[in-house]
Amino acid sequence: MTTGAEGMEAELTEAGLVDAELTEPGLVEPGLVDAELTDTHEADSDRTLLPTATPARTRAAVRELLRPQRGLAAAGFGLMVLATAVGLLTQPLLGHIVDIVTEHRSPDALTFPVVALAGVALVQGVTTALGMSLVSRLGETALARLRELFVERALSLPLDRVEKAGSGDLNSRVTRDVSRVADAVRGALPELARSALSIVLTLGALALLDWRFLIAALIAVPVQAHTARWYVRNAVPLYAKERIATGTQQQQLLDTIGGARTVRAYRLQKGHTLRVTERSRSAVELTMSGVQLMLRFYSRLHIAEYMGLSAVLVTGYLLVRDGSASVGTATAAALYFASLFGPVNTALVLLDDAQSATAGLARLVGVVDEPAPVVADRADDRTTAAGPPSVTLTGVSHAYVPGRPVLHDVDLEIRPKERVALVGTTGAGKTTLAKLVAGLHRPQSGRIDVGGAEPDEAGHLVGLVTQEVHVFAGPLAEDLRLARPDAHTEELREALDTVGALGWVEALPEGLDTVVGDGGHRLTADRAQQLALARLLLADPPVVVLDEATAEAGSSGARQLDEAAEQALRGRTALVVAHRLSQAAAADRVIVLSGGRVVENGTHDELLTAQGQYAALWHAWSDSRSAETAPEAH
Amino acid sequence: MGAGELSGRDVWTRSVKGQIRRVALGSALGSVHQLGEALVPVLIGVVIDQAVAGQNAGYLALWLGVLAVMYVTLSWSFRLGAKAGERSAEEAAHTLRLAIVGRVLDARGGAEEGRLPGELANVATEDAKRVGAVNMALMAGVWAFAGVAVSAVALLLTSVTLGLIVLLGTPVLLWLGHLLSKPLERRSEAEQDKAAHASGVAADLVAGLRVLKGLGAQGAAVERYRRTSRISLAATLRSARAESWQTGLVLALTGGFIALIALVGGRLALNGSMTLGQLVSAVGLALFLLGPLETFAWVNAELAQGRASAARVAEVLATGPAVVDGDDPVAEPVRGELRLRGVRLGGLDGVDLDLPAGQLTGIAVTDPAGAEALLRCLGRETDPESGSVELDGVPLTRLDPAGLRAAVLVAAHDAALFEGSLAANVTPEDASQDGAAGLLTERAMVAARADEVADSLPHGTATGVGEGGRSLSGGQRQRVLLARALRAEPPVLVVHDPTTAVDTVTEGRIAEGLREFRQGRTTIVVTNSPALLAVTDHVILLDAGRVGAEGTHADLVRTDATYRTAVLA
Repeated sequence: MTTGAEGMEAELTEAGLVDAELTEPGLVEPGLVDAELTDTHEADSDRTLLPTATPARTRAAVRELLRPQRGLAAAGFGLMVLATAVGLLTQPLLGHIVDIVTEHRSPDALTFPVVALAGVALVQGVTTALGMSLVSRLGETALARLRELFVERALSLPLDRVEKAGSGDLNSRVTRDVSRVADAVRGALPELARSALSIVLTLGALALLDWRFLIAALIAVPVQAHTARWYVRNAVPLYAKERIATGTQQQQLLDTIGGARTVRAYRLQKGHTLRVTERSRSAVELTMSGVQLMLRFYSRLHIAEYMGLSAVLVTGYLLVRDGSASVGTATAAALYFASLFGPVNTALVLLDDAQSATAGLARLVGVVDEPAPVVADRADDRTTAAGPPSVTLTGVSHAYVPGRPVLHDVDLEIRPKERVALVGTTGAGKTTLAKLVAGLHRPQSGRIDVGGAEPDEAGHLVGLVTQEVHVFAGPLAEDLRLARPDAHTEELREALDTVGALGWVEALPEGLDTVVGDGGHRLTADRAQQLALARLLLADPPVVVLDEATAEAGSSGARQLDEAAEQALRGRTALVVAHRLSQAAAADRVIVLSGGRVVENGTHDELLTAQGQYAALWHAWSDSRSAETAPEAH
Repeated sequence: MGAGELSGRDVWTRSVKGQIRRVALGSALGSVHQLGEALVPVLIGVVIDQAVAGQNAGYLALWLGVLAVMYVTLSWSFRLGAKAGERSAEEAAHTLRLAIVGRVLDARGGAEEGRLPGELANVATEDAKRVGAVNMALMAGVWAFAGVAVSAVALLLTSVTLGLIVLLGTPVLLWLGHLLSKPLERRSEAEQDKAAHASGVAADLVAGLRVLKGLGAQGAAVERYRRTSRISLAATLRSARAESWQTGLVLALTGGFIALIALVGGRLALNGSMTLGQLVSAVGLALFLLGPLETFAWVNAELAQGRASAARVAEVLATGPAVVDGDDPVAEPVRGELRLRGVRLGGLDGVDLDLPAGQLTGIAVTDPAGAEALLRCLGRETDPESGSVELDGVPLTRLDPAGLRAAVLVAAHDAALFEGSLAANVTPEDASQDGAAGLLTERAMVAARADEVADSLPHGTATGVGEGGRSLSGGQRQRVLLARALRAEPPVLVVHDPTTAVDTVTEGRIAEGLREFRQGRTTIVVTNSPALLAVTDHVILLDAGRVGAEGTHADLVRTDATYRTAVLA
C-alpha cells in the first residue's frame, strides 16, 4: 500500500495540539526548555508566552484569509470533486468487462469500456492537475498573507511583551510554525482533501451498486474510529515532548553555530559537539517512539481492512446467491472496497499533520490577533510644526519584576533642544529610563509627556539608538531605507557623510549596494553604530535618546562616533545615557541616577562644585587620562 | 572533510552506505509486505471465482482464512520493515547533523563565511533530514519494485502476454516519470532557496526588533518583508504548478496502462485462454500496480529533494578552510613572544611588531579596522595577505590552529556567551567547579569584577545567562567575557576592548585586576581606553595601519599628539 510508505514519510516528527488542555504553553515552548532540561535558572524566569488562538478563532481566521478567493476555492474544489468522481468510473468499467466475459459476448463489446477507461484516465489526469494547481494557489496565497500579517503584527508587539515571552518564542513562531503550516498547505491538506473526497464518493458508489455493500463496508468504521481516537490520545503528549526536544536541538544548533568563532577560540568543540549530539539523539529517540506508535496504529488498521473486505466478499456471495447482484457487480464492490484502503490510511495519517499545522496556525493567529497598538493622538505633526518639543517626567516608577523596582519616583524635565546627559553606575536604571522616554515601555506609575503626548513605539516622535548593534541583512542602502523608505541615494549619502561613514561605505566592494549583516560583509561594531546613527538622521525624530550608543562600539572608534552622535543630536531635544564623561561634560545638564533615583541634577560645573557622586566619577575618569590633560574644551 | 570535490552525490551515497544493514532489512521486510498486498487482489479473484461465482460456502470459509493469515504476515512485515527504515533515515540525518556541526566548528574555520547562522542551522536540521529520508525513499522504491515484480510473476503465470505487457510497460512509465520530475527538481531547488530567504529575512527583522522600534521603522520593515514574501510566493506557485502537472500526468499514464491491460485481459478471457477468476485477479493486480507506480513517482520527487538537500550539505562540508593547515604542535613551554613582520590585511599596511614575553602590552589604534584585522591574524581566523606572524620564532601558519589557540587566546570584543549558567560560561570545559580550579574561577571573576555581576543576579553564578547571554546587560556581559578569558589562563592572552560598556570606576578596578591576574604572562590589550592603557608596561600606537609611536602611556600622552587624540577623546 503506497500510502503506507508515504504516510510514514509524512512528517512523523510533529503533532498537533488542538485540545484546549494541551495548548497550555509550558508544554511546547522552546523558551522553557532550558529551565526544564538544565538546572540553571533564567534571570527572568517568569516568562509570559505570547498568546495562542482558540480553535474557533483559528478557524475564523482561516475563513477570513480564504474569503477574498472564494471563486478560486470553488473552482479548485469543483475540479478535485470532478477528478475523483471520474476516477470512480474505473471500477464499474472493469466490472462491465467481467460481465462481458461472463456472458461470453463478442470481443468488440470490449471496445467501449476500454476506450472509456482511457478517457477516464485522461480526464482524471488533467482535472487533477488543474484542481491541484488551483488548490495550491489558494493555500499558498492565503499562507503568504498570513505570514505577512504575522510579521506585521509581530513587529508592532509591545517590546516588553516580546521580552517577557523570551526572544525564542517569537523567533520559533516566525520560523518553525510558519514552515509547519507551509508544509501542511503544500502537502497534507491537498492530500487530505483528495482522500476525503475519494472516501465519500467511493462509499456513495458502493451504495449505488447495492446498499447492502455499503453496510458491509461500514463494519470497518468502528474499529477505525476507535483506532484513530486511541492514536490521538497517545500521540499528542508524545509529540509534544518530541517538539520540545526538537526545539531544544534547534536552539542548541543556533547557539553553537552562532558562536562558532568563540567555540574555536576557546576550543569548546568537545563540549558543544557533546551537547549537540545529546540533543539530536534525544530528538531522534522521541521521533522513533512516534514511529512505533504510528506502526501499531497501522497494525490496527489492517485488522479493520480485513474485517471490511471479508464482509463485502460474504455480502457478494449472498447477493449473487439470491440473484440480486451479478458477479460483475460483486467484483466492482470488492474492488471499490480494496481501493478505499489507500485514501483511508492517508486520511488517518494526515490527521496528524493537519493537527500539527493547526497548532502552528493557532500560534500564528494568536499573535496576529493581538490588538494593534493604540496610536495616541498624532503629536508628531503638531510638534514638528512647532519645533522640537520638551520632555517631562512626573513621578515615574518602573519595575520589570514586581517587588524589584528599577526606578523610583523620577521627576525630570528636558526643555526643547536641551541636551541632558544621564550618568550613573551600572544598574542605576539609566537604560530603563531611556526606554521609557523612547516609549518602548510604559511606566508603571507616573507620567511621561513628550510635547503633549505619551511616547509610544509606533511614533516617530522619539528616536532611540542603543548599544545593541544590529545590521539588517541585505544591501546597505536597504538597511538605511528602513528609517526612511523613500530616501534618495543622495539623501543616504548625505546621512552617511554626516556621521563620517561615507568614506568607508564607498570603499566597500559594491558601495551602498554591498550586502551587509548576517551572511554578508562583516561590519565592525563602530561602523555598525555609525549606520545606526545614520538611520537616526534619516528618521529625523524631534527627540533623540542615545543609550550609550557609542559605548559598545569599542574605544578605538569612540571619538569618531562621538562626533557622529554630535551631528545626530544637533537641533533636537536629547537625552544621552553616557559613561564616557566627555559626553556628560558636553551636555547642557547632567542628571545622576543612583539606585533608580535622581540624586544630582545640574550643569557639569555645578555638579563638580557640589563634590557629590558626579564629581567623584569625574575625578576617576579624568585621572586615567593623566594629570596634564585635564578637560580640554568640551 | 574539506576536500573540495565532495559532491551532493557523495553525501547521499555515504549516508545510505552508513545505514546499509537497516536499509537492507527494511527493504526485505517491506518487500514481504508488498508481496502480501499484491496477493490480496489475487485472493479476491479466487474468492469471486470459486466462492461467489461458484457459490461454494466451504471455499468461502477456506479462502477467507487464507486471507486472514496473509493479513497477519503483511501487517507484521510492514511494522518491522518500516521501523528499520525510519531508524535508518533518522540515524543518517543524525550523523550528517554532527558532521555539519563538526565542519562549522573545525579549527580552520571558513564554513560560516557568507552564511546566516539560521541558514546553517537549517542545513543541519532540514537538509540533513531530507538526505536521511533518501534511505526511506530508496526502501520504498525497493518495496514498490518488489510489488511490481510479484504482480508481474503472478500475471506471467496467468498469461505470458499480459505479464510481458506489464514488464515492458512499467519501465517506460518509470522513465516518463523520471523525465517529468527533472524540471520539478530544478524548481524545487530554487523554491527552497527563496523560501529559506523569506524566513531568513523574517528572523533577521525580529532579531533587530529593538532597533526598529527605536526608530519607529516597523512599517518600512513590514513593507520589505511583504516584498520578500511575494517573491517567495511566486516561486512557490511555479513549483506547485509543476508538481500538480506531474501528478496529473502520472495519473493519466497509469490509467491508460490499466486500460491496455483490461483490453488484452478481456480478449484473452473471451477466447478462453484465461478463467474469469484470472481476469478478476489480473484487473485487481493492475489496480494494485497503481500503488507501487505512484510510489515510484513519490520516490522520484523525494530523491529530487534529497539530492537538492545533499548538494547544500556538501557545499557546507566542502567549504575551504579560512586558514592554511599546519601540523606542528606548539613547542612547550610557551614563552609567549609574538613577532609580526610586514603584515598586511584589511586595515594593516605592513605592520612590524615585537610583543615581548611576559609583558602587558597595550595597542591603541587610530583606525578600528586595524584592530579588527590584527585580532583576526592573531586568532588565525584569516591569514595575512602578506607578511608573517610568529610565536616564539615559529610562523603561525606552521602550527596546528587548535593547538595555537591553546597558547594564544584572542578574546574578541563581540565573543558569544552560551546558554547555561554564568559559572558554566566562565569555567573551561574540562575544569571542575570546586577545589583549586574553583578558586581560580573565583579569582578570575573578581579580577574582571564579574563577581559583582553574579551578586546582582537572582541565583548568583548559577543564574542562566539566556541564549547568547542576552539576559545580561552590555556591561555585565563584558565582565563575564573577560572573566572567561582570564580563567582560560592561556600563555598569551589578547583582549579587545573589554570594558567599553562598563562605568569608569569599575573600569579602573578591572584594569588593576587584569594586570595583577596576568602578572608574568604575555598579555596584549587592544584598546583606546586610557584606564586600561595606563596599567600596561608598554603601549604601541597603530596609526593608519602602520606602527606609530611607542612608549609608556604617560610618555605618549605627554609627547605624541596623534596618540592624545586617539586615546583622550
